[in-house]
Amino acid sequence: MTDLEQAEKVEQAVDPGALFTAFLKISLCGVGGGTGIVWARRVAVENRRWITDGEFTDIISLCQFMPGPNIIGIAVCVGAKMRGAIGAIAALCGFLVIPWTVGLSLGLLYLQYANLIALRNILGGIATSAAGLLIATGVRLLKPHHHRPASLLFATLAFSLITLGKLPLFAVLFSLVPLSILVAGIENARAR
Amino acid sequence: MIGSSAPLSLTVHLAWVSSISFGGFPTVLPDVRNFVVGTNRWMTNQEFANLFAMAQSIPGPNMILMMSLVGWKVWGFPGALASAFATLGPPCAMYFTAYRLWDRFRAAPWQRVLRVGLAPVVVGLVIASGTVMAHTADNSWQAVAVTIATAAITLVTRLNPMWMLLAGGILGGLEFLE
Repeated sequence: MTDLEQAEKVEQAVDPGALFTAFLKISLCGVGGGTGIVWARRVAVENRRWITDGEFTDIISLCQFMPGPNIIGIAVCVGAKMRGAIGAIAALCGFLVIPWTVGLSLGLLYLQYANLIALRNILGGIATSAAGLLIATGVRLLKPHHHRPASLLFATLAFSLITLGKLPLFAVLFSLVPLSILVAGIENARAR
Repeated sequence: MIGSSAPLSLTVHLAWVSSISFGGFPTVLPDVRNFVVGTNRWMTNQEFANLFAMAQSIPGPNMILMMSLVGWKVWGFPGALASAFATLGPPCAMYFTAYRLWDRFRAAPWQRVLRVGLAPVVVGLVIASGTVMAHTADNSWQAVAVTIATAAITLVTRLNPMWMLLAGGILGGLEFLE
């Protein structure tokens, strides 16, 4: 059996229900804002092995260039990869329906207590850990690229322009990406 | 004052901004704030800020929830539902189409070049957003230590991240991070 056939077999085995539960889990775990990507990687790459780290980075790249909440894009793309349109809808529903209902009710309740200091301290502490998780996920995604100097250079540039240069995301994407692709293109032409 | 055309105008506005929210929904939040608080006076600045703080702290699709709560404020449950669909509909259609196209040309050499070029920039951005978040959240050396410890533990072990979020929440609640 070739790799391709094997890959197809695995993809056929994933049923929409599994996509629904996986994304329900990702959604419920994503406390603290911005950690959705941490859980999406843990579930889809590490636990279920539906996609590789490389494919995961691909999907985030694609989502960066689209409008909207990126994490929704991850659900749509992983679902579409595993099971086409039905998969995308299943993943999306898992990600949204129950959490939306629960969240809306909680939200309406929460609003009354938004000024509570203890609550704010707890949320602040969660945000502190969440930041560490996000950094670690980024470092993990960088690992497959560590032997290519240009990759390290562009990752460092993107990081510095945002954190030190304080440039808007849009500016960083549209200045660095063409350059980075150009370098990859030149390397590719030379290798042939 | 909330007029009878308010639900429709909010829905249309959300569908529009979600179609142009490149880089994630937070990038258009200032615009939504101007529309909801400034132009239409559907809620106060403080109410909007509270909605944001809350949306950041509960699990699930934060920005969609936040917009649903704005919709709720304007038109009750139907408003919440309409806002949710307006916020996620247009981007979902685009994600799906884009992924289909990307997948179709998976084997093409130009796509390999694109992939090699895109990946490092995007990974750099992920690490940067973690750092920016730490910058906003960490107001003391204890908090910085917690962020660094969390990152280190995540890289070295396979411990479930939930434990670290829990630990962060407890330390914060006990005021160790002041």
